Amino acid sequence: MQNCELSAFGKAKVVSTFQERLGLRDLTAKLPNSDTNERRARHTRWLNFGAANAIPIVATLALVWLATISLVVLNSFAPLELVPLIYMLPVVLAATQWGLVPGLIAAVAGTAAADFFFYPPLYSFWLDNPQDVIDLLLYLLVATVASNLAARLKTKADTLSRRENEIRELHAFSQGLATCLTDRDLIFAVQDYLSNTLRYRAVLIATAQDDDPHDNTVVPDEIRRQAVKLIAAGAPRASTIVEPHSRGAWLVRVIAPEILGYGAIAVELGDSPGGGTAAIAQRVETLLEAATVTLKHLKVKEAVEQATINYRSEVLRDALVGGVSHELRSPLASILGSCSVLNQMPAIRSDRQSQALINAIHDQAGQLDSEICDLLNATRISAKGVRPQLMWTDPTDIVNAALKQKERRLASHWVELDLARDVPLVHVDSVLVEQALGQLLENAAKYSPTGSEIKVSSRCEGDHLVLSVKDQGSGLTTDEKGKLGKRCFRGERRTVGDSGSGLGLWIASTFIAANGGTLHVKSPGPNLGTTISLRLPTVPQDTLELASPADD
Amino acid sequence: MTKVLVIDDEAQIRRFLRAGFELHGFTVLEAENATAGLKAATFNKPDLIILDLNLPDLEGSEVLERIRSWSNVPVIILSIHADEQEKVRLLKLGADDYVVKPFGIAELLARSEAALRRQLRSTNREPVVRAGPLSIDVVSRLVTLDGKRVVLTRKEYTLLHALATHAGLVVTHQQLIKEIWHGNAGNTQYLRILVRKLRQKVEIDPTHPLLIVSESGVGYRLDRGEAGAAHSRRGMSSNPTYCA
Repeated sequence: MQNCELSAFGKAKVVSTFQERLGLRDLTAKLPNSDTNERRARHTRWLNFGAANAIPIVATLALVWLATISLVVLNSFAPLELVPLIYMLPVVLAATQWGLVPGLIAAVAGTAAADFFFYPPLYSFWLDNPQDVIDLLLYLLVATVASNLAARLKTKADTLSRRENEIRELHAFSQGLATCLTDRDLIFAVQDYLSNTLRYRAVLIATAQDDDPHDNTVVPDEIRRQAVKLIAAGAPRASTIVEPHSRGAWLVRVIAPEILGYGAIAVELGDSPGGGTAAIAQRVETLLEAATVTLKHLKVKEAVEQATINYRSEVLRDALVGGVSHELRSPLASILGSCSVLNQMPAIRSDRQSQALINAIHDQAGQLDSEICDLLNATRISAKGVRPQLMWTDPTDIVNAALKQKERRLASHWVELDLARDVPLVHVDSVLVEQALGQLLENAAKYSPTGSEIKVSSRCEGDHLVLSVKDQGSGLTTDEKGKLGKRCFRGERRTVGDSGSGLGLWIASTFIAANGGTLHVKSPGPNLGTTISLRLPTVPQDTLELASPADD
Repeated sequence: MTKVLVIDDEAQIRRFLRAGFELHGFTVLEAENATAGLKAATFNKPDLIILDLNLPDLEGSEVLERIRSWSNVPVIILSIHADEQEKVRLLKLGADDYVVKPFGIAELLARSEAALRRQLRSTNREPVVRAGPLSIDVVSRLVTLDGKRVVLTRKEYTLLHALATHAGLVVTHQQLIKEIWHGNAGNTQYLRILVRKLRQKVEIDPTHPLLIVSESGVGYRLDRGEAGAAHSRRGMSSNPTYCA
């Protein structure tokens, strides 16, 4: 987590270099008016300005130089009127690339170079012809206006791209908040966001100094102590604190209301806070205010509560899924396996009574296992949704696999099959569809009398494949039909005597929906049987026929 | 006597497996963890290994890889999770087959016997594979159903041949596609169509195939053709419920 935070910060630093420069220029105007301060600040400002603009100025001069060279080459056949035009190019380029000042420098340098190299007398700054004077002055005027316009355009574009970045960061931040599982994650998300926006490393400081569980070793103890004092005093404005050992400056601002017991934000300003500190402080203050509002808007508090709930339910779910499947299903596997061995033993085979008992144990244990599986499936569906692994499948295989899976459940019913021979292939997750169909078969067996007929059919209806299971069981009332497929619904007439979690149909309909299909229930009324159908989309048959040349 | 090594950390599972295998004339060796299992596999030279995936000291797949690095002994995987991709991965790593817990001893025995037969066939180079009424002579490429010759296209024959060499064991879709189309242009859609065509030629009822059985999301298996659901309903085969 710590690494993560650091790398995000590093990225912010890289992005920031140019924008810092812009911000710095804007804010210098807002400095306090004390006389000596002002002079020192102005001096530093010019130094900073010079350092920051050195490369653009050199590049601008190089552009003018390039224009001159190309004019010298062209000189033999190009007219003199071309000169101001060619010198306009460096002006526009410099202004759009680096702003107004390089643009103006290009204009002046261009005028000087044109005069010196191309207007008679050559290699002198004098001009013989008054017309040339007018030409050059006109050039200087147009170049100034052009560089001004280009620079403004550039500033606008920069502002837009900065805003876009801010919005993108905010979006990423709100998404980050939604996925936080613990308050620790949340604190780091907030810190990352602040660091990214401020372009300086920002760290949250716990109100109670002793119990900061996140052990922010990046903040020196002295700063932390001072910050806690500020929180206690409820200081309304930000203050700069310099760490005595490393001379590193930190800006500390109290935030209200505090986030998760964190009452202040410390921003690391760096090792050598020179004259620019006040400007940086001002900017940090502005951004911090905006950030505090943002945090309020993003409902950090609610996010914290949600995070706690998420975390608890995740832990519970993992415990259930991991623990239940192993701790409960393993003993059942032993019971079921042992029953299967017992049933093959000669002593048991000759004893019908023992055999019946073993079969009963086997059936009940099998039932229990399938209930546990339903629960696990339901838990996983709720947690992660269903992610089907789509594959071309023959519907016949799905039906037969489901029948085989429910072989024992269907043993006391008469199963009638009506499968169309040339149903098209379907592009589905065969395991999920098979499971859903298995649930329908299970329900049909459960809710219809022993010895009655269960009819399984597959057919094509338009561009849909329909797999249906028809039983002669207790049927459904209109009210029950509406509720069917809701999680944990079980018909009232059925809750007596039958086992079941009521999850089966809900799981089936979820699995089918994940495959782009639908579940339909038809029942003429109570005790008149039920037909449940799965409808799955198919691909037109001729597409499949195209595939047949694959065989020779 | 055939020696089977059971590597499973659960004593109850080992106990019923021992009883089940001994009942059918096998000699059973037991190992409760991967270390003991690998040692037994090396020194006792079992004919068959039943390997549980969930072992306390080493991943089951790791054990499989180590065994496969020096031995061709049939290995059948036991697992409580029925994840298809995991099954395909294990088959690719060299497992002969897998059985998902809970399972009945009959199912495991059927898989074990199929794996042992495959091993035997590959050492003895037996030319004829039989599955129910179907017989496939891999030398003369002659396929007969109830003694009558069946005419197959080349791809149909390649498919049947691939299944026959692993008779009783699952062969993954990818494996089949690779054998039939040699890696070019083959996909599951073609495979499904080819299987459908083959079934029309060899199955009594192609909508209820007994010989070429599909294993959802994994592959196909050439069965013995006697598992008619309608007839053997009280058989003690337990079919696992799917857990996502």
